Amino acid sequence: MPRDAGLPPGTLMMLVLRVLTTQPLHGYAIAQRLHQLSREELSVEEGSLYPALQKLLVKGWVRAAWRESESGRQVREYRITASGRRQLDAEMAEYRRTASAIGWLLDEA
Amino acid sequence: MGIIGEWIRRLGYLLRRGAREEELRREMEAHRAMLQEPRAFGNTLRLREEARDAWGWGWLDDLARDTRLAWRTLRRSPAFALTAIVTLALGIGATGAIFTLVRSVLLRPLPFPDPDALYVISYASPGPAWLYPGMSDRGYLDFRGANRTLESVATFSAAESTMTGAGNATRVSGAAVTTDFFRVLGVDAAIGRTFGPEDDQSGDGRVVLIADGLWRRHFGADPLFVNKTVVLNGVPHRVVGVLPPGFSYPADAAYWIPLTVRINPNLGFMRPVIGRVKAGVTGEQAAADLDVWVRSLPLDPNRPRDLVAQVTPLHEAMVRDVRLPVLVFGSAVVLVLVIVCANVMHLLLMRAVSRRQEIATRLALGGSRVRVVRQFLAEGALLSLAGGSVGAGVAFLGGPALLSLIPPGRLPVDIAVRADGWVLAFTAGLSVCTALVVGLAPIVQISGDSPYVALRGGTASATRQSHRLRHALVISELALTLVLLVGAGLLVRSVIGLRSVPLGFTPGRVMTMTIDLPVTRYPKAEQATTLHSRLLQSLSASPGVLSVAAVNWLPLGDMVSWGDVQAEDRPDLAGKYNATKVAVSPDYFRTIGIRLLRGRPFTEADLPGRPPVAIVSESVARRLWPGVDPSGRRMALVDRPKPEDWLTVVGVVEDVRQGGFRSAPTHAVYQPYVQVTNRYFVGYMTFLVRTHGDPLQVAPTMRTALARIDEDEAPRSLATLETVVDRTVAEPQFHARVLTLFSLVALLLAAIGIYGVLASAVLERRSEIGVRMALGADRTSVIRMILSHTLRLTAIGITIGLAGSLAAADAIASLLFGVTPTDTATFVIAVGVLLGAAVVAAVVPARRAARLDPITVLRAE
Repeated sequence: MPRDAGLPPGTLMMLVLRVLTTQPLHGYAIAQRLHQLSREELSVEEGSLYPALQKLLVKGWVRAAWRESESGRQVREYRITASGRRQLDAEMAEYRRTASAIGWLLDEA
Repeated sequence: MGIIGEWIRRLGYLLRRGAREEELRREMEAHRAMLQEPRAFGNTLRLREEARDAWGWGWLDDLARDTRLAWRTLRRSPAFALTAIVTLALGIGATGAIFTLVRSVLLRPLPFPDPDALYVISYASPGPAWLYPGMSDRGYLDFRGANRTLESVATFSAAESTMTGAGNATRVSGAAVTTDFFRVLGVDAAIGRTFGPEDDQSGDGRVVLIADGLWRRHFGADPLFVNKTVVLNGVPHRVVGVLPPGFSYPADAAYWIPLTVRINPNLGFMRPVIGRVKAGVTGEQAAADLDVWVRSLPLDPNRPRDLVAQVTPLHEAMVRDVRLPVLVFGSAVVLVLVIVCANVMHLLLMRAVSRRQEIATRLALGGSRVRVVRQFLAEGALLSLAGGSVGAGVAFLGGPALLSLIPPGRLPVDIAVRADGWVLAFTAGLSVCTALVVGLAPIVQISGDSPYVALRGGTASATRQSHRLRHALVISELALTLVLLVGAGLLVRSVIGLRSVPLGFTPGRVMTMTIDLPVTRYPKAEQATTLHSRLLQSLSASPGVLSVAAVNWLPLGDMVSWGDVQAEDRPDLAGKYNATKVAVSPDYFRTIGIRLLRGRPFTEADLPGRPPVAIVSESVARRLWPGVDPSGRRMALVDRPKPEDWLTVVGVVEDVRQGGFRSAPTHAVYQPYVQVTNRYFVGYMTFLVRTHGDPLQVAPTMRTALARIDEDEAPRSLATLETVVDRTVAEPQFHARVLTLFSLVALLLAAIGIYGVLASAVLERRSEIGVRMALGADRTSVIRMILSHTLRLTAIGITIGLAGSLAAADAIASLLFGVTPTDTATFVIAVGVLLGAAVVAAVVPARRAARLDPITVLRAE
């Protein structure tokens, strides 16, 4: 499977926020979900994931808490905050606008 | 909100880094454990570092790392580090100390509310500013009524009194001030009140305000002091208030009495006038207003017609005398600091050259240039901060120490010199600047250096840029040092010039005591002269005394008086000739050592009632009776002499400089003090005692002799005649000393700089020298090569320095005496000293070069 698709850092943060909207997840689960939801097209390396998570924490868009997983392991779970949701909405709107603009351009030109 | 919250969170990460990192580690371990192939998880240490960067504190880690590394490198070469730190500490400390002075004297506002609204108001003929700007009494009263720009105006005159009733009689300085004085300054009493209008006209004016210091020292800080009595010059005064601590204006005033300005047709005073402008009025507007008024004055034959208004900010008027010296010191110390920086830059540069291979290795192995540059900067910063911290200590101690060297009476006393937060901030800023300047130097060496060349070249060698920079540094050090040397040389020559002026008397082993009898207790001339005679008698009977005398205006003292002098047989000069009128006791000329050229001295027989006599100075004799013996001629010291006012000349004495070294020999007419009938000429008197041994030993005797005759009088001053003489050159001497100190430090630093350049040049050109010697060059020619290198650098430095010196000498022209700013001898000596120092500094490296063994050198290649 292809490893890291070379996502721009901002985009990775947006994707993480997106997967966290449905439920709180720990780091491994986030990587898994990103992989599944992208139909196994995307795979995030730990080297990119953790800096992105730290950045989200610093920005205040996610919160983290330690919890016991179903397998009895101590895991650190991330939960999106209200300001994180606002940020995600803004970024998704922005992304859609840019994406469709690029799409039109590629189709029409 | 968002950005602030983010910063708070970031700060939280910084403060609890350990815990946060541990959390990251546990999290990553958990992640790894969940993977099917845990090895696929990367290097956790690196991952953690990358994740940590998101907190935004990476630069701090880098800084800490650079600093630690710089610290370790510096610890490995303590001699280098110590030299650099001590040099920087000296430079920064000296600059800080001088800045303390500049700030205290020139920059700190006066300790009065809204001090910028305070002005000294005067009018004068155009031309150089008067030493004591002022207004006549009539002018003051007229202007006070006419002005439209000032909120309040006051005038004052300094005073001095003998205070009794609180311990021994003491002399205290004070001032007589108009009742608006404190309103103008905006100062209120700490206890009681200041003067009000009732203190002015209510007649006796027997009220007094006391300074905080005097109140504490002499009255035990008595809280119930108001309404008590203080006796000044024998007159009881009721205390109405005590002023707040630190207030003393004018000068060192310790008491204030009310002054009522009245117009007296026979006696006019010029007094300083101060005013506070109305809100929103500028100094220019006040000056314009004053000017309109000056022009509206009715024509008065006694007043010059070209008077112009002068409105000077009070602060400027107070510091006018010290402004130039303080600025000169400031400029000099900046030059020293530049030299210091140049020297430390040079040290770092040489270190960079010697570490060339280490750096080249790092670069060749892929180290980043930025890291190397950062490390040099960190080293420069560490050195500067260490130097700056020590320097701040030097500044805090040195500033006040510098003040104590300033001759007394030159600074407005209420401007206390002390270091404060500004001085600290200044030294800190200075350290940062030097850190940047100094740290940047080695970068010149690295940039433009290719690791390949550096690694291949066996010996340490510098790049072309670094060569150029090092030469520029040494040349500028030499040029700046020459400027300082010339400045110091001119000031030293001024002091020597002042010192070699013939005094006309011999000051050794003479003690003086000056008294100032108050008119309140000694209203008549005879009362004063009776005290003088008794005092002289008592002193002459004391042990160890060779002779005693009295004089009203002591040469080089602070008092002098001029007046019309006319000779009976020279009516052509009547009203056109002025001389100083000195009242003396018979033994005066013998005691002070003024030579009698003709005739006889005064004797005990020249009593009141006997024919009045006079002795004239050489210059008076030459002016009034050129080429003739003046003995037996008659002269008068008053305008319209009555028959009894004519004095018969009995002798001629040598000229003396009454007014100080800078003035011309004074035309003087001497009279026996017992024959003087005007009280003004005998109330103030200096007693001189010539002794066998140390003149200071008779000081207590003199004091008790006075107390035995009048226990309510105290000496105004007690000093040896030598001290009186020294005091007149104290100020130029102080200027010369400070500048000499600076220029010697500069000279030392410049010599070290030259030594450094040559030493490294010899090191770098070792193989060249070796080849030359192998080819037959002898030691002399090697030494000549090194010396000519030195002389080339020095010649350029001197050429640039001469231009700077001429400009600097011109700036200090008004501080000079008996020497022109372009004095050839001074310039020649300064250049000679600099050349000498350069050659001395070159000797060691030159000899080292000459002693090189060509075989060893060439084998090492």
